[in-house]
Amino acid sequence: MAQLRQDYSQFVARDVEVVVVGPEDAAAFAAYFQKESLPFTGLPDPKASVLKLYGQEVNLFKLGRMPAQVLVDKTGTARFVHYGHSMSDIPPNAEIMELVDEVNATPVPRP
Amino acid sequence: MPRVSLNQPAPDFSLPDFSGKTFRLSDLHGQKNVLLVFNRTFV
Repeated sequence: MAQLRQDYSQFVARDVEVVVVGPEDAAAFAAYFQKESLPFTGLPDPKASVLKLYGQEVNLFKLGRMPAQVLVDKTGTARFVHYGHSMSDIPPNAEIMELVDEVNATPVPRP
Repeated sequence: MPRVSLNQPAPDFSLPDFSGKTFRLSDLHGQKNVLLVFNRTFV
């Protein structure tokens, strides 16, 4: 989260809304977002409805969830999907910014 | 388990945010890109 907040202005400049989805409840989200001064949209998903819809993997061994990122463009098309293979497997912001620049510059490829 | 495919429509959903305001993915279509971050736990 700190990694994303650091470059928040760059996301805003690129018309990107950062939306955090997690298994915690609303109170835990509110407390964490306030404590860390996070400017993002936070969606508590204790029933894991969106998590399941997007197929976030559950690591049965560690009983934790792997991080995942999906970049959705202005037409609602998924342009970048990253499923982490470990807790720290998160693409660097620079990589995400490059992708957003590409997405903003190029129309959706239609099959 | 279903997964999102590249260059396919991202599944729409709506959920209340932590302040109770409804967020719907498709509301941002035509306006903003969205980076969905599936977080594990806040520790």
